[in-house]
Amino acid sequence: MIYLDNNATTRVAPEVIAAMQPYLTEFYGNPSSAHSLGREMKSAVERAREQVTELLGAADVSEIVFTSCGSESDNWAIRGVLEHNPEKKHIITTFVEHEAVRNLCARLELQGYEVTWLEVDGKGELDLESLRAALRPDTALVSVMLANNETGVLFPIGEIGRIVRSNSNALFHVDGVQAVGKVPIDLSQLEVDLFALSGHKLHAPQGVGALYIKTGVELAPFIIGGGQESGRRGGTSAVPNIVALGAACELVGSPEGHELVRHLRDQLEDEILSHIPNASLNGTPDRTKRLPNTSNISFEYVEGENILAHLNEAGISVSTGSACHSSTRESSPTLRAMNVPYTAAQGSIRFSLGRYNSEQDIEQTLRVLPGIIEKLVKMSPYDKELRALYAAHG
Amino acid sequence: MCSALINEHFFSPKNVGNISDPEAVAGAGSVTCGATLRVSLSVDESQRITGAMFKSAGCSYLVAASSLLTEQVKGMTTAEAAVLGQFPKRSVVEQFDGWPADRNHCAALACEALLSAVKRYSDSVREEWTGDEALICTCFCVSERTIENEIKTAGLRTIAEVTRACNAGAGCRSCYSLIEDILETVNSEW
Repeated sequence: MIYLDNNATTRVAPEVIAAMQPYLTEFYGNPSSAHSLGREMKSAVERAREQVTELLGAADVSEIVFTSCGSESDNWAIRGVLEHNPEKKHIITTFVEHEAVRNLCARLELQGYEVTWLEVDGKGELDLESLRAALRPDTALVSVMLANNETGVLFPIGEIGRIVRSNSNALFHVDGVQAVGKVPIDLSQLEVDLFALSGHKLHAPQGVGALYIKTGVELAPFIIGGGQESGRRGGTSAVPNIVALGAACELVGSPEGHELVRHLRDQLEDEILSHIPNASLNGTPDRTKRLPNTSNISFEYVEGENILAHLNEAGISVSTGSACHSSTRESSPTLRAMNVPYTAAQGSIRFSLGRYNSEQDIEQTLRVLPGIIEKLVKMSPYDKELRALYAAHG
Repeated sequence: MCSALINEHFFSPKNVGNISDPEAVAGAGSVTCGATLRVSLSVDESQRITGAMFKSAGCSYLVAASSLLTEQVKGMTTAEAAVLGQFPKRSVVEQFDGWPADRNHCAALACEALLSAVKRYSDSVREEWTGDEALICTCFCVSERTIENEIKTAGLRTIAEVTRACNAGAGCRSCYSLIEDILETVNSEW
């Protein structure tokens, strides 16, 4: 199986399973309990907290709170800030956020909050001037992701943090879910108040995430319970999952494996763009502004779900931005926000690589993909347009 | 992709292409899911479909539906093909084992394109008709005179009654508005 869908989720690393295992078999007990079984669990949780702190470059372990997932972290950050600042009813976010932020802000809009939605250009980049102009005294929060899950485009959160800090009293929340483990992050050096991460994007299992809360930042609790996580997030600590997250952070924090992913992605992208005439890149061509593992490519005039099904038949897993394939029958909101033409958005495929991909994976993909596209090009009713495109390509 | 038949019609679809010199071409598209489809037909003088081909940019289910439909209509009269196009559930969904309910609109889209092509064919035959009496229903070759007589003789008031009486409108229904006009004209004389 050739798995090129790491932005959707990742394989749990063997090292992570090994770290987790004892906490599924030998060690049990509630980390809040006073007996030695409980205390052992508590120290495991605290060890994991240190590992997460290390990867994120947080100033102190007290800034990391464990949650169940990235969506919970995002929802808590946004709702928690709003609840804590009831006089501030304005939020700034972007059109290309993940559903956990986007759909929440849309719901908040219906509930009476005012939301400024920042646009992106054709390359998927933000206009920072419009962000600056949108900041108001009653802006509670600015929420901008670090890496876009579909295109891999990276937003300049360092600069954004500075803009927010010098022009307002708003807090700055970053959905870092897609970026953690793929690009280096040093939160102690950034003006970021809240930062969400999700374990299953970095080789931990689904069901665990974390929220970074910069020292001094106050927000209302989301899950109220038995005082876990220093009273900030209720619910018995999911020790095996938390241990897994810690181990995963340590794994991806080491430099090993990252260069190969970048190299394989570059190779795949270059080959496809140069040899397949109706292929075009979605997202800035500047690779310093994109995740090193992601390549979102449109095959114009053919349909993405078809491509996905054929690749799947060939043992290759990818994602598509086609409307036919989404449960909401909506084509990718990120591509729409970038004004990617409909006929291209319908034929978009996201290749997202990971540490377990090999040269052979890429070679095999490059071997089968052109034939698939050729077959679908012959099937396309856009024959005139394709003839012109292919003629121009030479 | 759950059934073998769906797989076959998707991975090895039949009739992909454009009929050269077709008697009818029509397209269909969905604004919601973005799928587009073109169906082209070749029809002989006895109104039998001698060739049917399609081109699509849409999901696998649309491809499978189009492959099945174009295969089925070969050898049918345009009237028979029109009936096929009016009932996507019978013509497509029930032909496959395990066709997902959320893909019913794909079957409907394929049928829509087919029906549209037959209507175009009927329209063109009607226009080019050089017989003594005006041709109204192409599918069943029913003239204006015949329909008028049926209406007068039996006191017909609706299209459905006309269809029952002489088959006009029993195929692609492209003549419905014409039958409606005749009904109005004849009945207002009474």
